[in-house]
Amino acid sequence: MSARRWTVTLLAALVALLTTAPLLWMLSVSFMAPGEAAQFPPPLLPADPSLENYRTLFGSFGIGRFLANSILVSTLATVLALMFTIPAGYAFAKLRFTGRDAIFRLLVAALVVPGQIGMLPLFLELKAMGLVNSYAGALVPWLAGIFGIFLVRQYCLSIPDEMLEAARIDGASEGQILRRIVLPILTPIIVTLALFVFLGSWNDFMWPLIILADQQLYTLPVALAAMSREHVQDNELMMAGAVVTTLPVLILFLALQRFYLSGLLTGSVKG
Amino acid sequence: MAGLSIENARKSFGETQVLHGVSIDVADGEFAVIVGPSGCGKSTLLRAVAGLEALTEGRIVIGGRDVTDLPPSARGIAMVFQSYALYPHLTVYENMAFALRIAKVDKSAIDVAVRGAAAILNIEGLLERKPAALSGGQRQRVAIGRAIVRQPQIFLFDEPLSNLDADLRVRMRYEFAALHKTLGTTTLYVTHDQVEAMTLADRIIVLRDGIIEQVGTPREIYAQPANIFVAQFLGTPRMNIIPAVLTDHRQARLDNGREIKLPAMADTLAPGARVSVGIRPEDVRIGAAPDALPFTIRFVERLGGLATVHLQADGEPIACQLRDDIHLIEGQTVAVQLPSDRLHLFDAHGAALAREARK
Repeated sequence: MSARRWTVTLLAALVALLTTAPLLWMLSVSFMAPGEAAQFPPPLLPADPSLENYRTLFGSFGIGRFLANSILVSTLATVLALMFTIPAGYAFAKLRFTGRDAIFRLLVAALVVPGQIGMLPLFLELKAMGLVNSYAGALVPWLAGIFGIFLVRQYCLSIPDEMLEAARIDGASEGQILRRIVLPILTPIIVTLALFVFLGSWNDFMWPLIILADQQLYTLPVALAAMSREHVQDNELMMAGAVVTTLPVLILFLALQRFYLSGLLTGSVKG
Repeated sequence: MAGLSIENARKSFGETQVLHGVSIDVADGEFAVIVGPSGCGKSTLLRAVAGLEALTEGRIVIGGRDVTDLPPSARGIAMVFQSYALYPHLTVYENMAFALRIAKVDKSAIDVAVRGAAAILNIEGLLERKPAALSGGQRQRVAIGRAIVRQPQIFLFDEPLSNLDADLRVRMRYEFAALHKTLGTTTLYVTHDQVEAMTLADRIIVLRDGIIEQVGTPREIYAQPANIFVAQFLGTPRMNIIPAVLTDHRQARLDNGREIKLPAMADTLAPGARVSVGIRPEDVRIGAAPDALPFTIRFVERLGGLATVHLQADGEPIACQLRDDIHLIEGQTVAVQLPSDRLHLFDAHGAALAREARK
């Protein structure tokens, strides 16, 4: 390897280290004894690693419940989003119906409106519908994201019409075409979209905080925030909570990374 | 198997009308080729037969059954697309089996049908591959296989050879002809390539701007084109058209003042009428004769066995095709014969004037 390539590799490693350092320290601190991380200078590794913080979290604090809540909400959000977004994106790309392009332009225009602006009206709407303080209410914003529809539509546009026509001549119904021809071709983009939605709803803090009043319904980020109010001094416990919050999505992301990257690349490099 | 008849088909996209009342009858087992320049409506017509495009007006009858309002799958047709339109995520076998699986055909029957079609097309070795692992010619075969498996009453081909390289196109053309002989299925084939039309068709339908210009066997259309458009569309190099004025019913004066003798015409125009004299390049002869005209050689294209000689007198340039064994020099003036029995005569609107019974 030339000196130049060594330099590039070293630089990349350095940046990677800088990025992962906080995560690694979070993991390390979560195994420390109470107060250990508050020393100066802060230790990099626990002097006497223990699972005490995790015992407290899952025991008296009952984080298992919130973990389950988060998994439930994010899974439902992902499934529902895919159920609505994929057919919608496909329809916008490939089916002919009146007002198709006008509606799509309107949707894209709505993309520039920040989500926070819609929160209050949405809250009032859901209140009228009696969905406040329920998972149904927490799931509403994820049902059909415009970005997801846009993503699926753009990808569907690259499917040649002739392929769908061939399937029509072969006797497939529109539903069969979607299931047996379009969905398999869309796999990379579906994985990407599922990851986006899962990560988004998993990390979402603001909306669950607004819509969920009952503590039993809290998702992890909301529960963690509530916990930090009373345990603001307990760095080690908080870090263990952060680990429980980030680890599942990190693992999910790493597991699906290959599909995810191919999904992001397919738009530019066809094939 | 069955015949196909298209009755007074009209189709408009918004304001633009692309088919102006097209009627075609294709006999049972016939290989009919619709040929025309891009945008003439030929693909729209084919898609209307397939049921992918609804006609604005008119009827489509397949095997005596009115299918105008039936969905594509109920029409008894199979179509091969220009882009092949194979399903990329399915193997060759599953591509060919797809229609039968949708129709819930018995597994063993599907296997027999797919392997049978694969044997006809020599693609038995490719059945487990995905389309991405096939060459253009192989994909074309799979697309045809997918059509054969369904045992349709009518095959529809939409420019199936235009994505192949020249060499493969010639080979596949031959295979199409052989396949039609084997299966005997009524076929409607759309192309803009006149060579494909001439070589494959039992009958050619020349379409321009949504109107049928002429229907006939390749020989008929080549020998007696109905108008200048058809005359020039079929044949390479295209037919020479020379403007002239009728001086007498067997004589015309070219724009450069030379007189030429015409064949005997059945319907005669009055002397003084403007006409167009047409002659195919292979009918133009070079060599001295009493009625030969002097032309200058502008350019010689040597094609190996044949040579195309571009000639010019004072008026229109004409092309002449000869065996490439004469010594010709650019700039040289030669005597050119336009044999009167090889001439085509068209009136001022481009319509062919009927000749007196010949041949």
